[in-house]
Amino acid sequence: MKAPIKYRIGKSGAFEALTTVLAVACILPLLAILYYILRAGIRRINWHFFIELPRPVGEAGGGIANALTGSLIIIAVAAVLAIPLGVLCGIFLSEHKTSRLAYWSRLAVDILQGVPSIVIGIVCYFWLVKPFGSFSAFSGSVALAIMMLPIVIRSTEETLRLLPDSLKEAAFALGLPFHRVILRVIVPCGLSGILSGVMLSVARIAGETAPLLFTAFGNPFLSTNITRPMQSLPLLIFNYATSPYNDWHDLAWGASVVLLIFVLFLNVFTKLMTSKWKIQL
Amino acid sequence: MENSVIISKDFNAYFGENHVVKNVNISIPRNSVVAVMGPSGCGKTTFLRGINRMHELVAGASTRGEILLNGENVYDVHPILVRQRIGMVFQRPNPFPNLSIYDNVIAGYKLNGIRLPKADRDRIVEHSLTRVALWNEVKDALNKKGSFLSGGQQQRLCIARAVAMEPDVLLFDEPTSALDPVSTSTVEELFHELKNNYTLIIVTHNMQQAARVSDRTAFFFLGELVEYEETKQMFTNPKDARTQNYITGRFS
Amino acid sequence: MTQFETEIHGVRTELTSMWQLVISQLTKGKDALLRFDKHLAREVVQTEKRVNAFELKIDRDCENIFALFCPVAVDLRFLLSVLKINNNLERIGDIAEGIAKYILDTPARFDEHLLEATELVRMMDLSLDILKDAQVAFENENTILARTIFSRDEVLDAINKQADDRIATCIQEKPASIHEALYILSIIRKLERVGDQSKNIAEEIIFYFEAKVLKHQKGLL
Repeated sequence: MKAPIKYRIGKSGAFEALTTVLAVACILPLLAILYYILRAGIRRINWHFFIELPRPVGEAGGGIANALTGSLIIIAVAAVLAIPLGVLCGIFLSEHKTSRLAYWSRLAVDILQGVPSIVIGIVCYFWLVKPFGSFSAFSGSVALAIMMLPIVIRSTEETLRLLPDSLKEAAFALGLPFHRVILRVIVPCGLSGILSGVMLSVARIAGETAPLLFTAFGNPFLSTNITRPMQSLPLLIFNYATSPYNDWHDLAWGASVVLLIFVLFLNVFTKLMTSKWKIQL
Repeated sequence: MENSVIISKDFNAYFGENHVVKNVNISIPRNSVVAVMGPSGCGKTTFLRGINRMHELVAGASTRGEILLNGENVYDVHPILVRQRIGMVFQRPNPFPNLSIYDNVIAGYKLNGIRLPKADRDRIVEHSLTRVALWNEVKDALNKKGSFLSGGQQQRLCIARAVAMEPDVLLFDEPTSALDPVSTSTVEELFHELKNNYTLIIVTHNMQQAARVSDRTAFFFLGELVEYEETKQMFTNPKDARTQNYITGRFS
Repeated sequence: MTQFETEIHGVRTELTSMWQLVISQLTKGKDALLRFDKHLAREVVQTEKRVNAFELKIDRDCENIFALFCPVAVDLRFLLSVLKINNNLERIGDIAEGIAKYILDTPARFDEHLLEATELVRMMDLSLDILKDAQVAFENENTILARTIFSRDEVLDAINKQADDRIATCIQEKPASIHEALYILSIIRKLERVGDQSKNIAEEIIFYFEAKVLKHQKGLL
């Protein structure tokens, strides 16, 4: 009687230990990456790094001001394009759970999420760069916006679906028209969820390189004109890291640190925000 | 009856092909409490939601017949206007979680974009909360979120929110089924007070509640209005055998 | 006050009014007998209709409260005892009416000697006192007072028992007054019933306040 039970208890303990070990193993790669990048890049980070342009080969120093500005502009434009569209589409999907249109849009969103980023880049190249005859930051924004869309849509939909129907009924029963029910009750109540979706999607596209290769292209100079080519952080990292010069490698490492911290900050901020702004239902 | 607020004439409601409310004719006297009871799935809630046109919000739902509110068919009026004149309180307390207690009470105005002077708003809030016997409990916490209140208080807040619109009729859809016995009796006592100013229609699956709070009771069975009587009459000498079986618990 | 309390209170008020009416009926019956006042007797007969109306009203109200509020515990005992007290009071009302009718039927004033010999007046006072005290006990939750009613009822019973011999003696002494004497005997029988009814009421009062059933259990008193 005793021996089998001991064996089973032992097996149970072993399994628990295994899951713990594997959980730790998941954290290790992240810590390793953080450590490696910080070690390689942190010494380049200073005030000048943020406000100076890259120097030509051979000159020491230089910064990533152009890429930083470019990234911010491209992301901002992408967000402006994707957020209203994505949130509205998410609202539609959460409101129409069973209609045919909703079925197909949901399918489309899922497929869009699976489309490789390079393919989106090529498509934008043919849609926007070729017809206008020039690489442009705007075309890059469009490409990134397309990548943001599925994330924003699905997170909006999921958030709004979790809101109880009783909330909507309460609003309708007070004689509110549909748009007010959505804008004054449903969206505010799901705001933290929608915002966290938006933040995560921004974090997701901040590091995208592939679609920008064919669209924003890159620019060694500071540019704020969205109809012209523009530098961005991932592009800078890609270009400089693949170059043969050590100075440029350092620059790429420094840029990697900045990008990493930006993305990390977005993620942590999102977590804090969702728990803090979460509306008690 | 010229003293009826709500008159339903051959009212029918459907979910797709499903005929859930069948030819209901009923007239609700002003300043009375009418309880609607019946077993689950008898169409009582659907009938209630037909009165303020909430029924049609469900996909595939439709209605036939008339519901007259003060002589005017609500199906000839825009649903938004109907719902502003017929308040509704639901099974689970559902205050707006993003609004304060104060804003919850005037939600009908605030969310509809109706701007009122501060003095008016204050008056409406105090008046409505007093009506539902909640003012003394929350007057020092008006800026707190409504979801901080207990279940019974939340439900009274929801009643205050409906009352704030000064509707003709208040509909209650099983308003105490999510509440504990003490909160339940508080809300039930409220019905007797509210009756002085409004007309109340209360759907309940709790017969005893129907008996305790209402002046008249309607018994629904399989979508039909089986009997509509003074409550005393209904519970001492029902006319229909089905009513008798239901209220005595001899229901197969 | 909740709706339920309002309803209960309504019944209590009605019962109190009915009680007072019945006491006044019996008092008037007594006065009519002593003064041989046919007007007063007629009034008692007339007023009996009001007692009956009270009985119906209280019955109906109790029925409604049972049906609508499902009373339990002290409320249930209250309503059950009200139903029975109501019944008893109505009987006492009938007795008062019966006495009044005898007075209306009797052609001449009762013989003082007859009244004294049979202790009729004492009996009337006793039964009235019992009825009044029962009401006081009910109003004041005084079960001690209610318990005194049982022994006082026995006094009435004793007088009633002796009445046969006394009446027989009276008839032997004065055979002309045989009709009169038989009326008196009937009245005595009725007053004895008032005692019994009051005893029932006292039992209900004790049931209401103490949840004890005293009926048919002589030893427990």
